[in-house]
Amino acid sequence: MKRSSNATVYLIDDDAGVRDALAWLLRSRRLLSEPFASAEAFVALIDRPGFEIREPACALLDVRMGALSGLALFERVVERGLLSTLPVIFLTGHADVPTAVDAVKRGAFDFFEKPFSDNALVDRIEAALQRSAQALGERDHAREVGVRLDSLTEREREIMQRIITGLANKQIADELSISVRTVEVHRARVFDKMLVKSAVELVNLLRAPDKT
Amino acid sequence: MNPGLGKAWPSLRLALSNRWPRGQISLPRGRWLLWSALVTLLAGLLGLLIFLAHRYEVSALQSRLDAQANDLAASVHDSLMRNLRLFGALNPEQPTVWASQATDLLLQRPEMVRIEWRGEQMQLRLSQDAPGRSAPFGRLARAHSEADVKLSCSAALRFGTPTFSSSYFVLQEDGRGMELMDLCIPRKEAGVLTGYTVVSYSLGEILARGPGARLAQGQSLAFTDPDGTRLAIHGQLGEGGRQYTSRPLVDLPGNTLVLRLDTMQERPTLLPQPLTALVAALAAALSAVLTLLVRDMRRRQQVEQELADALAFRKAMENSLSTGLRARDLQGQITYVNPAFCRMVGFEAGELLLPGDAVPYWPPELAPTYKARQQDRYNNTAALRGGHESLFMRSDGTRFPVLIMEAPLINAQGKHTGWMSAVLDISEQKRAEELSRASQERLQAAARLAMVGEMASLLSHELNQPLAAIASYANGSINLLQDDQGRQAGAAPDHLHSDLLEALRRIGGQAERAGRVIRSVHDFVRRRDQRRESVPARDLVEAIMPLLALQARKLDVQLRIDLRADAPPVVCDRTMVEQVLLNLARNAMQAMQQDCEPLRELDLQVRPSSLNGRVWVEFSVSDVGHGINDEVARQLFTPFFTTKEEGMGLGLSLCRTVVEQHGGALHFQPRQPRGTTFKFTLPAGTGRLPP
Repeated sequence: MKRSSNATVYLIDDDAGVRDALAWLLRSRRLLSEPFASAEAFVALIDRPGFEIREPACALLDVRMGALSGLALFERVVERGLLSTLPVIFLTGHADVPTAVDAVKRGAFDFFEKPFSDNALVDRIEAALQRSAQALGERDHAREVGVRLDSLTEREREIMQRIITGLANKQIADELSISVRTVEVHRARVFDKMLVKSAVELVNLLRAPDKT
Repeated sequence: MNPGLGKAWPSLRLALSNRWPRGQISLPRGRWLLWSALVTLLAGLLGLLIFLAHRYEVSALQSRLDAQANDLAASVHDSLMRNLRLFGALNPEQPTVWASQATDLLLQRPEMVRIEWRGEQMQLRLSQDAPGRSAPFGRLARAHSEADVKLSCSAALRFGTPTFSSSYFVLQEDGRGMELMDLCIPRKEAGVLTGYTVVSYSLGEILARGPGARLAQGQSLAFTDPDGTRLAIHGQLGEGGRQYTSRPLVDLPGNTLVLRLDTMQERPTLLPQPLTALVAALAAALSAVLTLLVRDMRRRQQVEQELADALAFRKAMENSLSTGLRARDLQGQITYVNPAFCRMVGFEAGELLLPGDAVPYWPPELAPTYKARQQDRYNNTAALRGGHESLFMRSDGTRFPVLIMEAPLINAQGKHTGWMSAVLDISEQKRAEELSRASQERLQAAARLAMVGEMASLLSHELNQPLAAIASYANGSINLLQDDQGRQAGAAPDHLHSDLLEALRRIGGQAERAGRVIRSVHDFVRRRDQRRESVPARDLVEAIMPLLALQARKLDVQLRIDLRADAPPVVCDRTMVEQVLLNLARNAMQAMQQDCEPLRELDLQVRPSSLNGRVWVEFSVSDVGHGINDEVARQLFTPFFTTKEEGMGLGLSLCRTVVEQHGGALHFQPRQPRGTTFKFTLPAGTGRLPP
């Protein structure tokens, strides 16, 4: 995982002792962490204009906190559309387990009950980071394909649609009432702009974005 | 007879029906018949009386008439017989003398119309007609009546007495007729018949001269022959009214005449006659009395109906009551029960009213207690007012609680004759009470549990935080040490050393924090100790009495509280100690529930005791249950050990903790002959809180 070296773990817990201890534990596994003393502080970060996850990241969230609870913060993350690139792991006390389970059902990555005794938590953090990295890759790919698609003209996009569905040049020409020659020119230009060499590659590019 | 009566009934009925909307006043058919029969009989009787009175009047009139007629007949007879003497003076020897004598006689006696002297062979010798009137035999020859004369003369000769002939009719010259009758008198001189004197009488003249003058106005007198034919008549019969007739006989020698006296008399009027008037007055009085009687009867009937209605109303009221009513006489014998009471206890009224000492609805084991209590109450009437609760038994043996209100029964003469009780079945009420209390207890327990849960949650969070931190430091340290081992020759041992040192220091810090959490909990518990106060033992027992009594009644347990007067006050956390007492008492009652004890008794004793030079108050709770076996006894105070299905196993261990916190001791021992006694001691108050 080439990006894991830059991965960040956001630690959000109002208990300084727990925060420090977790940071220390993560450091011992060579993971970078960024502590937040309250949910509000983290909200301030993600609400900053232009904020997005650029490197793999995950959030460790204590369910029971002061004014803004971990669960409310989770809702905020979901609202902002960050959940795919920022997996959330809940830390709970004994009594909050049902809340945490509920959160997992709604998309949280996992939850851990305090006190957590071994490195299982760190393992799950790494898994979450991996998920984040993958999501980031997908996001970047989709953005790249989008840029390429944007460069296509209207006519080229029409022709590309038909290429994907597997029509031959002749059929496309008949459908659009243009000459086969014109179709060939447009086709070559589509391949050029989409940076592919064949129709098969084009289909793969549009369908499964992570193979690049 | 009494039209007012008939008219009075409908109005009476109307009045009654207004007054008693549902009551019905109507004479039974039989009574109507009786009444009309009475009226008919009375009317008949009165009618008969009047009729008889009238009859009597009529017969009185008749007899007066008969008397008069007899008088008249007698006078006719007498005058005729008297005349006989006159004829002896006639001397036929000298015809001129005879003629003058006869003429004198005829003038004196106008009823005689002719006197004859006949020879012994009936040949006419002398005759003299009445002067001043036409000769009676002028028109018809005397020969026509010769047979009658001869017949009478021969009879007279035979009997030697003057004899009358039967009467005969003789037409007169003026066209009218005359009824005549001859009298023949034989004349003897020295026993030798010399001839006969024959006198002709006119019947009409006899009537006119003799009794005619004595006739009243409107009466007529007549001679009739035996078959009723009038021969001669005198007087004018009056008009109108009724004809009364009397027919006496005038018995003359040789002939018998019927004298007929007729009179017209007004029908005897009803009222003026004294008898009729008397009868009428009696009848009127009778009617009046009858009317009064009827009126009185009507009033009585009305009162009776009102009484019956009132009685029916009372009865309906008693029967519809859901409150049981029971009356007892001074000896405690039941004299009355209403249906509600019978329903309540399930006995028939007859069974309850049986004389005898046994009261069927008293539970047998409580009967002596009840009897004594009843006597107490009756001796102290002031205590009756409030009513009291009791336990009754139905006929099927089930028990149910009742509320009894009793009052002395005073009769109309103001004499105290017994006791009246109203009995209310309060099992529903009790059940509701118990239910609400039970649910309240459950609610409290739930609330307590929730509070405990909340506290546990808080506590676990507070403890989890430092524990989580400690775990993280420990795991991190292990990670570092493992990494270091992997590298063999430490690249930066100083760095590792300081890192580990820092981690261990922080572990210490977090452990200290966990310790603080624990201490704060302990402090919280310790703070309760400060709430101890000096409480009289009686207050403690009384505070739990309502709950105990409730449960005791439910589980059918007799409570015996023995509180020594010299028991000093107790220094304790009142709520906790009450809880301990309640727990122990409840356990005891439940222990007796498990097997069917005939007599379930719970003894709660409080007494002072001394130990180690200090004064204590000893509480003991004893049951007569099945006792505690050794296996159970070993674990009895272990938390979460329980023999009950719904128990949590905290009760006894909690009790011991509470007692020990107060410095006392809780222990138990078997009781003889059966059962268990739990005892605990608490410090006695000295007016100052213990340290």
